[in-house]
Amino acid sequence: MNDVFFGSLTRRKILFTIIIIFYGLISFNLFKMQILDTFLYEEKSDENSVKKIVKSAPRGIFYDRNYNVLVSNKPSFELSVIPADYDTSNNKLIENLLGVDPGYISQIMYENRRFSKYVPLVIHRNAGFKLVSWLEENSSFLPGVNYEVSVQRDYSFGVNGAHMFGYIKEISQSEYRKYRDIYGMGDFIGNNGLERSYERYLRGDKGYNYIIVDSKQKFIAEYTGEKNRDPIKGDDLVLSIDADVQMKAEELFRDKTGAVVAINPQNGEVLAFVSSPSFDLSNFSSITSNDVWSNLLADTSKPMFNRVTNSIYPPGSTIKMLMALIGLEEGILTKSTTVNCQGGYKFGNRFFQCLHKHGTVNVEKAIEKSCNTFFYKLALDIGLDNIVKYGRRFGFGMKTGLDIGEESSGLLPDENYYNKIYGKKGWTRGILLNIGIGQGELSATPMQLARYAALFANWGKSKRPHFVKGTIDSETFDFTEFEYESIDVGIQRENFDIIREAMRKVVNGQGTATWIRLPDIVISGKTGTSQNPFGEDHALFVGFAPFDNPQIALAVVVENVGHGGTHAAPIARDLIKTFLRKENKITKFSEEMEVVQLEN
Amino acid sequence: MKIEYKLQDKFDVISFASVCLLIAMGIVAIFSATVNHPTASGNAERQLVWAGVSVIVFFFIYFLPHRTFRLLAVPAYLSSLILLIVVIFAGKVVYGAKSWLALGPFGFQPSEFGKIGLILFLAYWLTHKKRNINNFTDISSTILIGSIPVLLILLEPDLGTAIVYIAVTVFMLFWGGINLFGLFVVVSPGLVVFASLFGTAPLLVALGFILIGLYYFKRNLFTSASVFVANISAAFLFDYALRLLQPHQQRRIASFLDPTADPLGSGYNAMQAKVAIGSGGLLGKGFLEGNQTQLRFIPEQWTDFIYCVIGEEFGFIGSFLTITLFIIVFIRLLDIAYSSKDEFGSAIVIGTLSLYFIHFVINIGMNIGIAPVIGLPLPFLSYGGSSLLVNFMLLGIVFNIYRNRKEKI
Repeated sequence: MNDVFFGSLTRRKILFTIIIIFYGLISFNLFKMQILDTFLYEEKSDENSVKKIVKSAPRGIFYDRNYNVLVSNKPSFELSVIPADYDTSNNKLIENLLGVDPGYISQIMYENRRFSKYVPLVIHRNAGFKLVSWLEENSSFLPGVNYEVSVQRDYSFGVNGAHMFGYIKEISQSEYRKYRDIYGMGDFIGNNGLERSYERYLRGDKGYNYIIVDSKQKFIAEYTGEKNRDPIKGDDLVLSIDADVQMKAEELFRDKTGAVVAINPQNGEVLAFVSSPSFDLSNFSSITSNDVWSNLLADTSKPMFNRVTNSIYPPGSTIKMLMALIGLEEGILTKSTTVNCQGGYKFGNRFFQCLHKHGTVNVEKAIEKSCNTFFYKLALDIGLDNIVKYGRRFGFGMKTGLDIGEESSGLLPDENYYNKIYGKKGWTRGILLNIGIGQGELSATPMQLARYAALFANWGKSKRPHFVKGTIDSETFDFTEFEYESIDVGIQRENFDIIREAMRKVVNGQGTATWIRLPDIVISGKTGTSQNPFGEDHALFVGFAPFDNPQIALAVVVENVGHGGTHAAPIARDLIKTFLRKENKITKFSEEMEVVQLEN
Repeated sequence: MKIEYKLQDKFDVISFASVCLLIAMGIVAIFSATVNHPTASGNAERQLVWAGVSVIVFFFIYFLPHRTFRLLAVPAYLSSLILLIVVIFAGKVVYGAKSWLALGPFGFQPSEFGKIGLILFLAYWLTHKKRNINNFTDISSTILIGSIPVLLILLEPDLGTAIVYIAVTVFMLFWGGINLFGLFVVVSPGLVVFASLFGTAPLLVALGFILIGLYYFKRNLFTSASVFVANISAAFLFDYALRLLQPHQQRRIASFLDPTADPLGSGYNAMQAKVAIGSGGLLGKGFLEGNQTQLRFIPEQWTDFIYCVIGEEFGFIGSFLTITLFIIVFIRLLDIAYSSKDEFGSAIVIGTLSLYFIHFVINIGMNIGIAPVIGLPLPFLSYGGSSLLVNFMLLGIVFNIYRNRKEKI
């Protein structure tokens, strides 16, 4: 730049170059933004103004085996105000209607003052139908006050079944991260029980409405670029539960602690399922209050704990059928093998007690009378390996595979177990005596005991226990039946017949539960008392009915009450009665006749 | 054809037509941005009225005697200084800057009209017979002329307009024939001050470059030392001035340095403006069809972000046409400046060109996201009466100079 004078040609050229450089720079950027990358910006622009309104789908309904509704849905009204349209002079009126403190609405509006004035603020959940209809009538005086209808669970059908159904809960952070393509934040998801294990059938498909909003989130118009989609309700579940039996079971356990589960021995269908104490599911129909939570968690009786599948008990005398069956099947025992009971059994220098002096007993009598002496000796004869081998076939020490997740496998102790606990030389065959009468380490959940009963009922054949018979598609209404694996313990029918006959006599002979005998239904079963080191013994009963064509098998555990024949057996009888009389499988008897019979 | 040739000889039809097209596009864009707006819906009509007034003023100035501007140079500059002082005490705060003076029902920005004063006076000063542009005192006095209004405007504070004043001064010095060393002396304190905004390390680097530059120019020790000391003092003075600013003014400077510091403020605008332009595509979404614009994702879009209305609704075609019209005007003004025999007039044209150009570069730059968001309107397109009127007044002076370009006074 040697031409240092006013307005030289070089200076003109430099200015010209600067202008052209900026022309090129801007044109290049425009070309890149509007031609090359335009789709990126288009996407962002749509994100700005097209809003996806999610419409949640109603969950599938639970039906019982006779298509009675167990759990359904009900509308829930959510009140909200849009601050931009809302007239704050209505505050007092609405606060009165809701029954909240004065200043409640202005407080909410103050807390959300940073958000756009067009975003609705929820002021009340679970509004009653009366309140909503009043608002609807007076809507012209209440600008900016709206309500939104959503659905929540309806538990008003008389069955509680808290541990079986489980409940739904707002999705957790970790679950959301895992399934973010299916769920949104704040969505409800099955948290436990059937709600959880059948979540993918129950949840349905969410619907979407696309609308155009402005920068303040104010609704402008429907968006036509994307198709709106209606929500699709979740598939309904048809359960094998019998509502009447279930309600009866819940009623019988109202003041008791324990568990009962009844299944159909032919196919493993669960007919009733109660763990007590329980909790009221209606507190879980929408957002659960903190009070409810802390009360439930602080309760020392642990109402949330599912005793049917998670609590394990020594089976007591109910294990004797298995011991006898092993003896018969292994040829250690015949129908006529006898033992002389003189009130106990001497092993080494210890004397193991029996409850009575039963004299000479064979296997049938030993079960009917629940003679310990017979089973002390038998357990020593069959040995631990046989107990483990056959115990497994009956599902001890293994989860039953019931279709509600959480489940304990119980305990079927083998040699390795004892070596681990007591050391290789630390234990003797003496442990067999306790196992033989069901008081040792061997322990089982009520669910396992119910299946155990079912296997005796049906000569060793059944199916994996389950709640769900099938689903009903919410659009086609087609019923899809579910298949479950078969179980066969592989034991001769004659040997089962011997044990079953003994179980029949427990109730219908001179056994330990004769007073639950019914005139019209032949109940078979076995009482048990499960020793409890922490307090009173637990009462147990396993059984089935009717004897010839078993339709129901069950296990009952009543905690801390003592002898099984007195406390657990009557519950079994009442449930069997409710189920079989209703099903019209048995000719009807009047209640009076029954009473007369019992008094005899 | 002969008549048209004669017309072109007296009146630059090409640039006038380009400017009229730009105004028309501006009004269309303002209409689109405000059509449903609760408070700004009449802005397109108001802009049309202002355009009419401005054109009348333009022709009035166009026909003024040639000598008028030389006579007006000093009073125009002095009166604009007075108004800039008055506005600091009696001004109305608009968008955080005390830049408006109320005049009965009207309001106007002294810093807008001050542009005319600065350009006229600088042109007068630079082209005075007694001056030698490469004489140290003359350079200093020229810088002083530019600095006084810059300081007053920074007090409002209006950073954007201050930058415009500085750029105009530098461009006019350049056109005036300043040599490379002189330009270096003028520009270097600016670079040092700018670098000091980013911290001590960049400041030291900038000072290092100054030393290398001084070595390269091989001036005598006294001159080199004075330049270096002047640079260091500029940095310290600026730092001192920053501390005198109010906290909210300091925050504005902070967010200018780092727009992401305030994503919901100016950063948000810049992002939404980019989205608007980019989503326009080749042909645009159509008049009144741009969702970014119509759903008001860009606040106050009819002022500094008017360009993205065009980008969104008329696409690449519209936005490219707009910048092309500007470039035509710039090139024409450069030709007029070069062809004018009168140095005073020529300097005015370059002052006007640099004023338009710096507005154009910064405004389009912030619309397409390559410049920080400094509140500068786009000449002839952005809504605003003062700005439109001043731009037309300057254009009137330029056309007057073109009409008399063969004369030398």
